[in-house]
Amino acid sequence: MPAATVNRPMPRKRLSAFPFVLIAIAVFGCILPTAVNSPLLLTLLTSATINGILATAVGLLIRHSGLVSFGHAAFFGAAAYVMVLALERTGISVETVIIAAIVLPTICAFGLAFVMLRVSGVAFSMLTLAVAQACYELVMRWRELANGEDGLAVKLPNRVFGLAVGVFQRPDSMFLICWIILMIVLLGLWFLGRSHFGTLTLAIQDNEERARFIGYETTVPRAIIFALSAAVAATAGVLFSLYNGFVTPDTLHWTLSGDALIMAIIGGARSVWGPALGAVVFFFIRDAAGGYTEHWPALIGITLILVTVAMPTGLSGAFALVRTRFGGARNG
Amino acid sequence: MLVQILNGLVYGGMLYVLSVGLVLIFGLRRVVNFAHGGLFMLGAYVGYAAYGIGGFWAAIVASIVVLGIFGIVLDRLVFRALQKQEPMVTVLVTFGLLMVLEDFVQSVWGKDLLTFTTPPSLSGTVAIGAVSFPVYRLVVIAAAVIVVGGLSAWLKLSRAGLYVRASSVDPVTTAMQGVDTEHLSALVVGVGAALAGLSGVIAAPLLALSPSMGSTILIESFIVVVTGGLGSFTGAFVAAMVIGQLHNLGVVFVPNIASMVPLILMVGVLIWRPAGLLGAKA
Repeated sequence: MPAATVNRPMPRKRLSAFPFVLIAIAVFGCILPTAVNSPLLLTLLTSATINGILATAVGLLIRHSGLVSFGHAAFFGAAAYVMVLALERTGISVETVIIAAIVLPTICAFGLAFVMLRVSGVAFSMLTLAVAQACYELVMRWRELANGEDGLAVKLPNRVFGLAVGVFQRPDSMFLICWIILMIVLLGLWFLGRSHFGTLTLAIQDNEERARFIGYETTVPRAIIFALSAAVAATAGVLFSLYNGFVTPDTLHWTLSGDALIMAIIGGARSVWGPALGAVVFFFIRDAAGGYTEHWPALIGITLILVTVAMPTGLSGAFALVRTRFGGARNG
Repeated sequence: MLVQILNGLVYGGMLYVLSVGLVLIFGLRRVVNFAHGGLFMLGAYVGYAAYGIGGFWAAIVASIVVLGIFGIVLDRLVFRALQKQEPMVTVLVTFGLLMVLEDFVQSVWGKDLLTFTTPPSLSGTVAIGAVSFPVYRLVVIAAAVIVVGGLSAWLKLSRAGLYVRASSVDPVTTAMQGVDTEHLSALVVGVGAALAGLSGVIAAPLLALSPSMGSTILIESFIVVVTGGLGSFTGAFVAAMVIGQLHNLGVVFVPNIASMVPLILMVGVLIWRPAGLLGAKA
């Protein structure tokens, strides 16, 4: 399990190649829509990128607090529902609504953290699942609020942030937007990992008592990490509702939380970029599975079992291992 | 009002039978079985299959036996094999197993809702004071009472029960005292899974059968286990009874936000007692 064990990568002091590699990958992604003329592939990549942001949120929580969330769809779906409900019921401008859709779930997560962090790791995971599923039941049952199972269409104005709304709904342009946001998130989280605060959260994860002993308050940093993770998940939810134009309770369902967690595990949560890579792999496997999609849950369940048992550090961990073995002892 | 309380007891009883299995397994293995809802669902479907062959009592026996064996296999192949790993590894594996189980059931019985009819001998209603109440619901309450009584007697009076209680306080020390926790664990996971099967089959006439029925009730049994205190048998009982009532009152009086009611209770309990109602150290 990548959660809390040996060989946690400590923040490196010297200059790292990471930002440069990331910029190269970002540029590569940006020229992709012009190079690839397949709407099908771009649709796939756009979904993979949005889910990659959600998986990155799950990975962030694992990496910085050792806690495993089975309910991150709660923040994703909450953001999507704030978008759709605020646009339908109030006259607030879409830009403000988008900001609110990210800020509100983040504040809720921060408050909730003080209750949820009172329990141990496994119980925390149970609670994340319970909270998310309670939200799912809420929108399913309260038809007057959110039209239940049928979902709601997002009433977007013609222009969003000065761009025509179609820009957000065509796969080629939306892929660019999502891709750039993913890269910004990854870069931000990479800086977080190297910052004093990031190091502190790692220390708390290692030994909370000792961190308290040397004078650090330990609950607030963990709550901040939970809230940050919720903010990233909410960002993915906003992108989803912009792109999809339609929001259903599926955005809150545990299968989405489970998928995000599985992406993070497949990619490996120990590195910043692992979960996003996991999302891309997940979507390509699903695409390749094609005719077997009827048995998709079993397929992904078996993949989860195999990866957890046989490759607990995920793809990014395997990659780091290969690099240390063949490329000199560079700390991956 | 009496009917509401009785309905609350029915739901609470079902929740207890399901949740106590989670508590038993946690006591021995220190992991939470995320596939427990899948076992509940499997129990209902096995019962459904056996009902067609041998009637209601055959359904109950079949799902207890099948799920009990399934539990022993689960303990050997998953819990025992992964006991040296982080608890989260087992949690993730059982979560994967839940998906496989749902898919399996869906492949065998299809995605559509199935109805499990109340057995003719237990259908009908009985007058309680001025109101009438379905007989079958009383049977569910009776089954829960039997499980509560039987399990308490087993835990308090038998040697195996003593070992189980000791182990849920401290499995390592218990093993050092010469208790074969490996054998005990297979037994306990078997019992826990059989109880999940039992709760599935007795719940079946009250709910519609669908492959996802397990994940819905699993959430509430998680709330029960955390509210009661992980690993506490009495805590799970108290929490199941309270949440059974709240769930029912919520559905009747505030149907829109019914799913939030148990959650609010849990948040309140965790603020008041971080380890749950009767939990030891978290």
